[in-house]
Amino acid sequence: MEIRDLNKLKSQFVTRQVGNELVLVPLSNNVSNMKELFTMNETGRFIWENLTEKMTVDKLAEKLMQEFEVDEETAIKDIKLFLEKVSQMKN
Amino acid sequence: MNLKIADFTIKLFSEKPFQLEEGYLPFVDGDEACAPDVSVECVSGIPDSLLDGCKSLFEARSEDQWFYSVYEYHAGLAFRIFNQQTKNSVQQIAVLNKALNEWKIFTVPGPENDLLPLKYPMGPILLYYLTVNHEAIMIHASGVFDGEKGRLFTGFSGFGKTTISNLWKESGSKLINDDRLIIRKRGNRFFMFNTPMYYPALPEEAPLDTIHLIRHAPENTTKKISGALAVSKVLAFCIQNNFDKRFIENHLDFVNKLCSVTSVYETGFLPDAGIVQYMKDHE
Repeated sequence: MEIRDLNKLKSQFVTRQVGNELVLVPLSNNVSNMKELFTMNETGRFIWENLTEKMTVDKLAEKLMQEFEVDEETAIKDIKLFLEKVSQMKN
Repeated sequence: MNLKIADFTIKLFSEKPFQLEEGYLPFVDGDEACAPDVSVECVSGIPDSLLDGCKSLFEARSEDQWFYSVYEYHAGLAFRIFNQQTKNSVQQIAVLNKALNEWKIFTVPGPENDLLPLKYPMGPILLYYLTVNHEAIMIHASGVFDGEKGRLFTGFSGFGKTTISNLWKESGSKLINDDRLIIRKRGNRFFMFNTPMYYPALPEEAPLDTIHLIRHAPENTTKKISGALAVSKVLAFCIQNNFDKRFIENHLDFVNKLCSVTSVYETGFLPDAGIVQYMKDHE
């Protein structure tokens, strides 16, 4: 999944911050998906909340580096892990 | 006629005679003066074209069985309710107003021209839509109260809800319900209430102190969970029609508060009386 597609996906979830984490519940038109609830840790929550229409991987990595004081390699790795998780949420 | 279920007052009225399934009879409330939380008009016969052109919002069905469908209907909602015995024939059409507090249920009359307005699954649907409009949830769970603590057991079908609640019952606890509970907030405490079943059972309620996400296991184990994990796991077993953001927001807020004041455990158990003391010792 590309980062530019994620902003659209955000509108299909209702989220609630619990401590530093995030609970995500998908909007659904049937009962079959009701067992699919998702959580994100603090890093995932930060990425999710900073997804905007014009966000890029580079800009997001920069924000992560500033927020969590991590190097670029770690930030890119976290974004890739995030994208993998979100791809599972969509399936 | 008024019903009192989980402290909700439900007013039922009709120009035609109507009946309730026997599980509802213990919930009939003699206090007719009580202001209802929801009113239900029962009508005989299903209008042919009521749902024509209405936009479908939600479908509740398994691979081979329809339960109900939800439609956008003017400013409110409409429901097509399917008969669970004859499979896939329509037993009712129901309309719910925008404020979610006035139902009109059109029902196919029975062989003696009698109406069963809350015939399954209509009754639980009505209760569910009460919870989305209040600080409450309905959850697939059993509950017990030992005189000191209220415990709720939730999990997938076949994971042991009835088994574990019966083990607690045999050890002297009061059984609240073994299938579907409503949880409500009173002041700073949460309470669990039984809902009508297919068999008659008196209305019961108890404070709720611990929630166990249960499963059968080769040995007794329990692990406390909290935060987002607890909220997501408890919410997963709540009854939900998640086509409307407002409903999800209401449930998320409620379960978040619930998990902040009750303890949530993942508990594996052997189906014998030892689990009762084990849980007491490890909570």
